[in-house]
Amino acid sequence: MSGYTEGIIILLCINGIAAMGVSLLTGFTGIFSLGHAAYMALGAYTTAILTVQHEVHWLPAILLGGLLAVAVAFFIGVPTLKLMGDYYAIASIGLGEAIRLILENWQSVTRGARGYPGIDPYTTLPVVAAFFLVLAIFMFNLINSRFGRACKACRDDHVASSLLGFNTARVRVLSLMISAFYCGVAGALLGGFLSFIQPIMFDMLKSTELTAVVVFGGLGSMSGSLLGTAVITLITELFRPISQYRMLIYGAVLVIIMVLRPEGIMGNREFISWVRAPFRRKAS
Amino acid sequence: MATLIQQIINGLSLGSVYALIAVGYSLVYSILLFSNFAHGGFLVIGGYFCYGSLRLLGAGIWTAGALALIGAGFAAVLTERLAYRPIRERTNVTLYLLIASMGMNIVIENIFVIIVGGRFRALPPVIPTTPVSVMGLATTSAFDLISLLSAVVFLGALQLFLSKTRWGLAIRAAAYDLRTAGLMGVNVNLLISIVFFVAGFLAAVGGIFLSVRYTLYPQLGAITIKAFVAAVIGGLGSLPGAVIGSLILGLAEMLTAGFISSQMRDLVVFSLLVITLLVKPTGLFGKSVSEKV
Amino acid sequence: MSPFFQLSGATKNFGGVRAVDNMSFGLEKGELVGLMGPNGAGKTTIFNLVTGVYGLDEGEISFKGEDLGRLKSHQITDRGIARTFQNLRLFQRSSALDNVMTAAQYRIPYTFIECITHLGSWRKKEKMIREKSMGLLERVGLADRADQAAGTLPYGFQRRLEIARALALDPELLLLDEPAAGMNAEEVSSLNVLIKDIHSDFGLTILVIEHHMDLVMEICPRIICMNFGAKIAEGTPWEIQNHPEVLKAYLGEEEDDE
Repeated sequence: MSGYTEGIIILLCINGIAAMGVSLLTGFTGIFSLGHAAYMALGAYTTAILTVQHEVHWLPAILLGGLLAVAVAFFIGVPTLKLMGDYYAIASIGLGEAIRLILENWQSVTRGARGYPGIDPYTTLPVVAAFFLVLAIFMFNLINSRFGRACKACRDDHVASSLLGFNTARVRVLSLMISAFYCGVAGALLGGFLSFIQPIMFDMLKSTELTAVVVFGGLGSMSGSLLGTAVITLITELFRPISQYRMLIYGAVLVIIMVLRPEGIMGNREFISWVRAPFRRKAS
Repeated sequence: MATLIQQIINGLSLGSVYALIAVGYSLVYSILLFSNFAHGGFLVIGGYFCYGSLRLLGAGIWTAGALALIGAGFAAVLTERLAYRPIRERTNVTLYLLIASMGMNIVIENIFVIIVGGRFRALPPVIPTTPVSVMGLATTSAFDLISLLSAVVFLGALQLFLSKTRWGLAIRAAAYDLRTAGLMGVNVNLLISIVFFVAGFLAAVGGIFLSVRYTLYPQLGAITIKAFVAAVIGGLGSLPGAVIGSLILGLAEMLTAGFISSQMRDLVVFSLLVITLLVKPTGLFGKSVSEKV
Repeated sequence: MSPFFQLSGATKNFGGVRAVDNMSFGLEKGELVGLMGPNGAGKTTIFNLVTGVYGLDEGEISFKGEDLGRLKSHQITDRGIARTFQNLRLFQRSSALDNVMTAAQYRIPYTFIECITHLGSWRKKEKMIREKSMGLLERVGLADRADQAAGTLPYGFQRRLEIARALALDPELLLLDEPAAGMNAEEVSSLNVLIKDIHSDFGLTILVIEHHMDLVMEICPRIICMNFGAKIAEGTPWEIQNHPEVLKAYLGEEEDDE
């Protein structure tokens, strides 16, 4: 396998992990975020600092990076997700900006805006593939469990949900924490892949891209989010030469999908139900 | 002492520009209950309309200003018609509107990146920035006083519009409950168009002053983040809240810049957001949103 | 001994409007009681107060000796009160079965680790949830529609689905909010049978809101009638039918309707 292909596959896995996190939050729980790149940044910097400065092994460092993202998500989520309305969406922009500012100005620890070089290239193909597989299995299991039904219930009708015994605020915060963990791990893996991270890599455009992928793939479809990631990651690679139109197309696609087909490519179905459907019909 | 007064005037001036942006954003939020992230785009449209009229048409500041305000107003109405109305008419899922608004923000920003380029552009010196002495106590720039005064005039006009005219009353009724307003025989689509026109119009006023203050570039709209934060501090959907929140934010920013360090400005803004969310998440004037069951 | 369910002096204001005004009544365990009154009398507000959707301004609500006033909606569900909604609050895009399973899982919990790994009791518990839900769908006559999206079901079926979903919470007190609204006469009579059946089979206490007199009269041995947020009469169907205040309330409304 050529280095280029390998690189693309690693990138697909990393983007896929982050997309699953955002998909759980936006697609399944109905909470919009404009700051998920901040959780990636937290994971990336924590892991970089732990491995380079404190010589921690990369595996616990990645997990700690994910857990720090979870802790921050808890801190932001508890006050904002109690309320209905777009409080979390606005707080998430604030979070994204605040994290970026801290990373840029806390020179002694983060080395500032010029970036953090010299990270061990621990993100090899087998490592990233293992992370992707384990996290994907966990995520698909999760959405096919009582927790997945709880998220969808809170997304669709929070009043009815609370009368079906769900503590809706708790479900929303938990969903955010899980999604932060996925993004934190994805960020940590990205650092190990590029060996170099910079605050600007985790700006609002990155957050927008994460949400765009999920919307494109279909809100409420985990396999759709992965498909969306694959399509958008590959298109981004293909259209690198005309990158000035990339953002315009992103934006237009978001609007057009919302206007014409808000359910995205997959609707709220999973790929597997799509494959199974014809067989089921025959059986009955 | 002189620095303090000077920074307070600067803070109020900046805060009043935030207020123009935050009020329109809050007005849309109070009617449609979604956070319109394309609001920053309206501001940029206003800025470029003004720049274009001054540079290409050679218009004076009054004509250019009027064109910019009306142009941004219609652009906002157009945004609503193209992107939000089709969604509104089919579903009441505000998440879809939120995502569409983020998409529109990217579209507007990048249209300007492609058409006029990402360069920073300075507006011609149409608004005087000469130093002015304030009652002999402090020196400030004429620009700060003019922007403060304009904001007061426009916000006062909005207040008159909302309290004295028929459409103003209808908008206030719709902020209470859009469906009821519809049942009372108000043309809801026209009402929403008017709200968007007002929002775009006021955002353009802010856009012109911000272009003079910081120069004009396609990403200038990102500054609306401050207006969103101000709206949350004041209470989402509350107009007086948006104004007070904006003034608090403007003062906090300028006092930090004047007495601590200008690098800390933005950190102070987001700290204020976090403190508000932790202490009183509904903001200073927020109404708790409840739903009819 | 404290009564099974007791509402005492409940009052709720919206702005300047007093939606519920010093309302008191009690329910004995196992009763089937009708709550009737003209449109806007405050019936649904009573349900919203009982289930914690709104907070009480004054008064007290107690259930099995516990004060519900301080509890959140999900805690009230936990104590054994379930309800349906006047304007249907199903999860439209989910299948009928998923709607019921979403409620049935409350009494059949398993851990988060089991959620992500599908190990341990996941398989057994999910099967229990599914079987319980199918059983309830069968009970309300929707077994053959289990896979259909709730939003595409005929109106009468949606109302039955809401009843199945509420029953999945294993309630002791069931609040039905206008279960017959929008149904034709034939559907109403089969619904009557269903309500009476679940009342006896599940050993439930049921409070049913109905706008139309005839349905309540037919199935409820005891009826509470309210108007303008206050109780105007209470008694057997016969007593209610001949109560001057009730007649006035309903006559007044019919004149308004014309």
